[in-house]
Amino acid sequence: MKNRLKDLRAERGWSQQHLADALEVSRQSVNAIETGRYDPSLPLAFRIADLFGQPIEAIFLNPKETEQ
Amino acid sequence: MKAHTAAGRRYTRRFMPTMAAYVVAILFATWAMKTWHPTGALLVALSVLPALPIIGVIAVIGLYLVEETDEYLRTRIVQAMLVGLGFMLAFTSAWGFMEEGGVLPHMPAYFAFILWCFGWGVAQCVQSFRDRRAA
Repeated sequence: MKNRLKDLRAERGWSQQHLADALEVSRQSVNAIETGRYDPSLPLAFRIADLFGQPIEAIFLNPKETEQ
Repeated sequence: MKAHTAAGRRYTRRFMPTMAAYVVAILFATWAMKTWHPTGALLVALSVLPALPIIGVIAVIGLYLVEETDEYLRTRIVQAMLVGLGFMLAFTSAWGFMEEGGVLPHMPAYFAFILWCFGWGVAQCVQSFRDRRAA
């Protein structure tokens, strides 16, 4: 699933490791989510949304809309 | 399996002594069978002895899956285990029928675990390679 995680992280000048530590996941997880190879569970998506202070749909793009 | 998480480190800490116990158990059981030529209950006990640490390793793997809180790593390892399972089932099915046809010699049942680990390991190598390419 396409998402804005990399952009949001870059805006804050955070490394993948920094974001991983904040989310209490591995750096591999952050990398897999950023590159769209892994879609996080709803609880993890909510943790990501809370961390960036944005709604889930502002971070994870609706596949139906990104297809067009 | 690289330990990226606390559960991974606990897995390594549990895995090493369990494998050491396996080496001791197989050496002792082999020596005892050759030296004592046991029968009855002692033979049963000595024959099953090397399997006990293997069962321990399976429990250690199970504990890791229960304790791993990183959902991506857990999903990835379960996928690799399923590839290992598929490989083991395909290999033993083919071998079994060829054995029955007299084409191949008898394969001891404990090879199933080795084959599963092999398939799992190869799948993890492929995953790591894909991850590095995507990073």
